[in-house]
Amino acid sequence: MSGKLKEKIGNGFCHLYLTILSIIAAFPLLWVLLSSVKSSRDLTSNPTSIFPKEFTLDHFRNVIETLGFTKNIANSLIIALCTTVIAIVISSLAAYGIVRFFPKFGNIMSRALVTTYMFPPILLAIPYTLVMAKMGLTNTRIGLVIVYLSFSVPYAVWMLIGFFKTVPIGIEEAARVDGANKMVIFVRIVLPLVAPGIVATAIYTFINAWNEFLYSLILINSTDLMTVSVALRSLQGAEILDWGSMMAASTLVVIPSVIFFMFIQKYIAGGMTEGSVK
Amino acid sequence: MKTKKIDYGRWLLVLPALIVVGMLLVYPIFSSLYYSLTSKHLIKATYDFVGLGNYQSVLTDPNFYKAFITSILWTVASLLGQIFVGFTAALALNRVKRLKGVYRILMIIPWAFPSIVIALSWKWILNGVSGFLPNVLYKSGLAAELPQFLSSSSLVFGTLIFINVWFGAPMIMVNVLSALQTIPQDQYEAAQIDGASKLQQFLYITVPHIKVVVGLLVVLRTIWVFNNFDIIYLITGGGPANATTTVPIYAYNMGWGTKLLGRSSAVTVLLLAFLLIVCFIYFKIIGKWEKEDK
Repeated sequence: MSGKLKEKIGNGFCHLYLTILSIIAAFPLLWVLLSSVKSSRDLTSNPTSIFPKEFTLDHFRNVIETLGFTKNIANSLIIALCTTVIAIVISSLAAYGIVRFFPKFGNIMSRALVTTYMFPPILLAIPYTLVMAKMGLTNTRIGLVIVYLSFSVPYAVWMLIGFFKTVPIGIEEAARVDGANKMVIFVRIVLPLVAPGIVATAIYTFINAWNEFLYSLILINSTDLMTVSVALRSLQGAEILDWGSMMAASTLVVIPSVIFFMFIQKYIAGGMTEGSVK
Repeated sequence: MKTKKIDYGRWLLVLPALIVVGMLLVYPIFSSLYYSLTSKHLIKATYDFVGLGNYQSVLTDPNFYKAFITSILWTVASLLGQIFVGFTAALALNRVKRLKGVYRILMIIPWAFPSIVIALSWKWILNGVSGFLPNVLYKSGLAAELPQFLSSSSLVFGTLIFINVWFGAPMIMVNVLSALQTIPQDQYEAAQIDGASKLQQFLYITVPHIKVVVGLLVVLRTIWVFNNFDIIYLITGGGPANATTTVPIYAYNMGWGTKLLGRSSAVTVLLLAFLLIVCFIYFKIIGKWEKEDK
């Protein structure tokens, strides 16, 4: 009897706690979205009213037409897509190779990949700046794609190891008995089995490249080539802070990330813990 | 003959990744080590070998120590907050039956935020003139005047840590939750029959099962928070009056502000050395845990 009551109170407390956390977690997104459609007057004179008194798309118009934000979106899109494709191809091969052919070194390799996680980005930024300048790749999208591989490949390999480990070796052996060669086994049997994991990893890689800031700040200084993160930051530099436009631009940047993230959230956790510990 | 062929094949699979790691991670470490011993300047073409001179200037600069202490405080406070919120949220999520998916989706939103949007959204919400939160606090009488969360030197550090907890807790939550779900339920049932209390079940079943995963997560988060540049740089730029200057910000200002890349390299090498020591200690602990498990 008292046990049941305790259980109920406990559950109620959990719901209350989770509700509060959800509100705190989601509030900034809500606020960015709402602020992007409020009039400038509304933004400054009614800071505590939640819903817009006058709904307007002026800020979006300003961001896209006057500030030319679409070209920054295109830059980020191209860079993030190229990074993702290259990183996923390289990492899938490596992760499969590690899981199937280097079982002994698998753990060492996993540890080595975790180690790369501790390199301070600011440490890498200095050599990257100098090397890219030497190779004439400063202010180019290619330069940024190359640099982005530094964080996307180790991460993708690490996550994919977890997914490839779930493929039972028996299936591959059966296929080999049937006369399939290695290439066929990999492409037609293994890949389809880990496809959800690869898609999740690809989306995560894409989001990380889309969201990246430091390297893009250091390696790109022409407005035409800026990624969304750096272009958005440069809006802050203006004399008068136009919060409406900044929130409209933020909306354009954050929405793809949030939507993609919702699709892959289940896979990420599994992949990370699988790849890291077992 | 046939085995040889297989050998090449397996190396071919991992080679591209090894090349990327070598070129983009190993090479930069050594070149940073080298530049840290030179007077390399961001713009000037020539530079000299100066031995340990850069390290000497960094290690005698009081601002470096201040940044180091700020980094430690920033890391410890952020991490404790992230772990506490992430862990308790995971436990709560693991317990409730209804609305689980909704909570989960709402709570991971911060993780998807690009750092620039984290910065802009919070700067707008906390803005000292027309920001939402200061005005709510002021109008409701909870604050005598509009609180200056980001420009008052007594509030800014705590505010940044709050933002970092907001950003980092979801990742801890998701990972702890997935670790919790791997615990076989029958162990709890058996414990219940034996009359173990909830607390005992938590200490003797839950904790041992997830401690390795959580330990690893703590290592990764420590490093990540310690190295974090974007959030602080974009929100406060290290100010006001250096109150939020951590080592990465200090290194950035030295390299791109005063253009002393050699000295900046020395700072980053010291940063890496410190992280290596911390990781070594962590991995020793986790290794011990893993052995205990077996």
